[in-house]
Parts: sequence; C-alpha cells; structure tokens
Amino acid sequence: MKNHKIRHIKVFKTIFILIFIVFYTNNIYSQEVMEDAIVTLLFSNENDTKIIEAKVSDTDGIPIEEVELYFYVKRTFSLLPIGDGFNSTDENGLVELEFPNDLPGDTEGNVTIIVKIIENDLYNDLSIETIKKWGIPTEISDNTEKRSLWAAAANAPISLIISISGMILAIWFIILYIIFSLFKISEIKPSKYVKSIT
Amino acid sequence: MKKTALKEQKFESPREKDLLSHLVSTSLKYKLWIALLLLINFVGMYAYYRQVKYGLVVTAMRDYTSWGIYISNFVFFVAISLVGSLFSSILKLNKNEWSRPLIRISEIIAVAAIICASVIIIIDMGRPDRFFYVIKYLRIQSPIIWDVIIISTYLVISILLLYISVLPDIALCRDHLTDIPKWKKKLYRITAINWSNHPKQIEKLKKVSKILAIAVLPVAFAIHTVTSWLFATTWRPGWDSTNLGPYFVSGAFMAGAAVIIFAMYIIRKQLKLKAYITEIHFEKMGRLLVLLSLVYLYFNINEYLGPAFKMVGVEGEHITELFVGSYAPMYWFVQLGGLIFPIIFLLFRYMRKPLPLAIISMFVILGAWFKRFLIVIPSLQHPYLPIQNVDESYLHYNPTWEEWAITISSFASLLLIITILIKLFPVIPLKEAKIESETIVEHNILKNEES
Repeated sequence: MKNHKIRHIKVFKTIFILIFIVFYTNNIYSQEVMEDAIVTLLFSNENDTKIIEAKVSDTDGIPIEEVELYFYVKRTFSLLPIGDGFNSTDENGLVELEFPNDLPGDTEGNVTIIVKIIENDLYNDLSIETIKKWGIPTEISDNTEKRSLWAAAANAPISLIISISGMILAIWFIILYIIFSLFKISEIKPSKYVKSIT
Repeated sequence: MKKTALKEQKFESPREKDLLSHLVSTSLKYKLWIALLLLINFVGMYAYYRQVKYGLVVTAMRDYTSWGIYISNFVFFVAISLVGSLFSSILKLNKNEWSRPLIRISEIIAVAAIICASVIIIIDMGRPDRFFYVIKYLRIQSPIIWDVIIISTYLVISILLLYISVLPDIALCRDHLTDIPKWKKKLYRITAINWSNHPKQIEKLKKVSKILAIAVLPVAFAIHTVTSWLFATTWRPGWDSTNLGPYFVSGAFMAGAAVIIFAMYIIRKQLKLKAYITEIHFEKMGRLLVLLSLVYLYFNINEYLGPAFKMVGVEGEHITELFVGSYAPMYWFVQLGGLIFPIIFLLFRYMRKPLPLAIISMFVILGAWFKRFLIVIPSLQHPYLPIQNVDESYLHYNPTWEEWAITISSFASLLLIITILIKLFPVIPLKEAKIESETIVEHNILKNEES
C-alpha cells in the first residue's frame, strides 16, 4: 500500500517537471528579440505655428512605419500629454504635431518636450527630452516676498506689527507699573501713627 | 479636631470668626471633597498619559472634526473667566456697592478658569513639547498667536486683580491667625508684602486697583473676541460671521454670571455665610442674569436668523443639522433650557430666591457648555469642499473615554483651584466698606504729622 503511494508521487513529480520544462523552453523561444529605435526630432516655427516633427528609424537608418509615439510637456508634478491621442509614424517613419501656443514655460519661456516610445511590440522603450523656448514666460509672483497676512513671520505687515506691539506694550506697561507699585507698597514702613490707631 | 483648632484660635470679632474660621479648621467633608477631585484628576492624567503615548488617535478627532470637546471646553473656560472683569471692573466702576462681597469669588473663579483654559489648549496639542515653537517661531499674523498673547496677559491681570483685592486680608490673616501650620504662616507673611494698613499703602492700593479695573476691561473684551476670531477667521459654515465677537462676549458674561450664582449658593451653604451673601445678592444677581441673557438672546437671533432665512448651500445644511438634524435635541436644549426658559422663569421674584436661582443657573451653565460644543463641532463637519473617499470615522464625532476623562478632570482641576484658594484666603472682604472720607481724614492727619 505504502509502495503504491510512493510510486504515484514519483509519477506526479516527473509529469510536473516535464510540464515546467515544456513551458519554460516555449517561453524562451517564443520571445522575439526587441530592437532599439532611433527618434530624431525636428522643430520648426513659422508664423507662430510651432511644429514638432519626429522621425523614427532603426539602427540602420531605415524608417519604421506605424510606431506609436507619445508627446509630453514636463510640468511641475507630472507630464502633460500633447498632440492627438494616437501619433503613429507614416511610411517615411514621420509623425508631425502642432505644439500649443498657450503653454506656460519657465521665467524665460523654456519648456521641456518629451517624446516616448512606450510598450511597443518590436522596439524598446525610449524617452528623449528637448528644451525649447516655446512656452509663455512665467512671471514669478513676488507675493511671498511682500509683506502680507499670508507671508512668513519676517514679512508681517508693518501696520499689524505696530498695532499689536502697541497694544501689548500698553497693557504690559500697566501690568509692570502695578507690580512696581506693589513693590513700593511693600517698602512703606508702619509709622507711629498707624501703630497708635491699630 | 475642628473644634479644638477653633477653640485655640481667638477671633477679634464675630465677623472675623465667620469669615476666617474655615481657614483655621479642616473638616472631613473638605478632605473627602479634595480626595474626590484628586481621584478624578488621576483618571484624567492616566487618559492624558495614553494620549501622549499613542497620540491624538486615542481621541475621536480626525481630519474634519479636528477641534473636539477640548476646544469647546477651552472656549467655555475662557468665557467664565470673563466674570472676574464683570465684577472687578464693570460693577465696581459703576459703584454697585452690593456686589462688593462677590468680587473676590468672581476673581477666584476667573483665575481658576483662565489657568484651566491655558492648560486645556496645551492638552489639545498632539505634541505638547512643541508648544514653545509657537513663541519661538512667532507669526504675528496668526490669530492663534493673538490668543496666546491675550490669554497670558489676562492670566497675569486676573492674578493681580485677585491679589490686590485680597492683600489687606492676607495681612490680617498674618497678624490674627495664630493656630495655623507654619507653611501657612510663612505664606501669609510673604504674600502680605509688609502690609500694615498704612494710609499711604491704602491710597496706593486704591489707585492701583482703579487702574487695573479700567485696564482689565479692554483685555477681557479682547480675550473672548480673539477667541471668537479663531473661528471667524476660519472659513466654515456658522463661523463666517461678523457677529461672532459680541456673540461670544455676551455669552461669556451670561455664563459667568450663572457660574457666580451657583458658586455663591455653594459657598454660602458650605461656609455658613448666609449673613454675608444674602437673598438680596441673589435677587440682584438674578436680575443681572436676565439682563445678560436677553443681550445674548439678541445676538443668538442675529446669529441664526440670517443663515436660516437664506438657507444657502453648506450654510443651510449646517442650520438644518442644528434645527432638525442630529444635533437638534442638543440645540433646542441649549436654546430653550439654557436661555429662553431661564429668562422667563427669572422674571418671577420667587425664582430669584437662592435655591431656584442656583438650579436655573445650573441649567444656564450646562446650556453654555453644550452651546460651545454646538459652535465648534457641527461647523467642522460641514466643510465647503465636499468630503470624498474618507474613512467612516472621519464623518462623525463621538468623544472617546480619554477625551471625556480629560474634560471632566479639567472641571475637577477648576474646582480644586477654587477650593484651595477659598481655603487659603478669606472669600469675603473682612473689613466692611469704609467710607472714603474716613481714609482721606486719616491721610490728612498723617500728612500734618509728617510736616
């Protein structure tokens, strides 16, 4: 009975190992080798129409058709997608899109444009960054530097500092005067007169 | 024990005996009372130990209801501390002689309340060790800083008011009380600061007392107005009101008057001071309470009528919650039981007798406490931005046992401070009101002698 059981376990073990080997080898051979793509960007700005042209080619310089590209502009916390939902290359490996005119850039108008290939079946992921002066220059508000209610302690409004300090000084002057008077009271020695009437 | 101590202590007059005998003897009832208060305080301390150890998570306060019963309690204590200024300033400057025996009680309550208010605000902090950062990184634009400044100022003024009022009697205790422990003798000797009833001292003390009586008034108004600004400057329904300052101040005077009446009743009974705190005092205090309640009623109508008439957005939701929602029973208890019924009852002369007046005052005090709860909590539960994807516990506020224990122990501390101050100092001035001309004559004689 016991031997019978052990034989069963051995058979299961062998089947399991065989299944594993079959799946593993299949996996290895079914994977196609991913290639690197090369993306070249061309920027043109005519009559306020800003165009980004991206050319995708393989390592031999042959244009690649139907590669999905993703265009972004870097913002403070995340990437802002630009262009259409789908930007696929044509038979010449080219894709064009118009850069919006109303995007704010840094103080000089610089924006970081990012082009990506993401999860393509044949080509590896890719991300290239280019800085262009295509944004609207942002004026950094100096509100935080100004004296205001919401500023840091050092930049409190002068009127507020004067009025509050004035009130505090006035009331604490009275308090200190009273404490001083109590001290003076303690210094008054009982006179003969007081002794005689008590 | 009580009788032997009293036998050994000789008093110079029956008035002195009536007013000083409780300083000399300690009854068993007093000891039990102190033990009870200490016990409650120990439970509160254990709850606070848990709060410090595990953090504010042991309370029911979460992101929305971030101010719970601690802050309602804080507002209540600040409110009743205003009573010191009502007696020491308003009634005194208006020459209401009848209020003279009550001044010291009011000042004792004011000192105790403002101490408890200062402590409760630190208890409300998740990291009490960071309290000094408030001063270190002081930001004068913040109403919280204004509150910290004004509370500490009012605390000092309240202590000075009490001290100046009690100073001549401390000297009397120093001179007349013989059968008291050494530490008590030393305490009287130090705190009496060489007081010898010298006319010059009397004159100086009178002057100081008058200056303080005038100075305390703007500070008292400021302390509760600034407390109301903590709410008025925060954008929440129910707080976004220009009425909030006078609404808080008038409510404080009403609550303070009720606390005084209740204290008068207990002190009169326990210290057997019927001859000094008379029915006339209760009658006058009853009338004063009606007046203050009417003023508060007026501000209440102003506070609720506008938003209730318009019923706009979240403001409307807040009003609905108070009028007919989950807070309705508490709201109507506060408005009817703590405000309207007391006004109606107190219009009848019989209701201004000591016992009925003390019971009515108890309701006013309860109403005043729950009123602060209603000011703080429902407003926080209705932010202007919608509440989305939050834990269920964020939506409701039911104080935990730790919060109740700490809150109740803060009341025990208040009573403990009051009891100790009453045990140390005469609660009613020992000298009867001296006619002012007498002091002037004495002073003139002295001047002649000196010249």
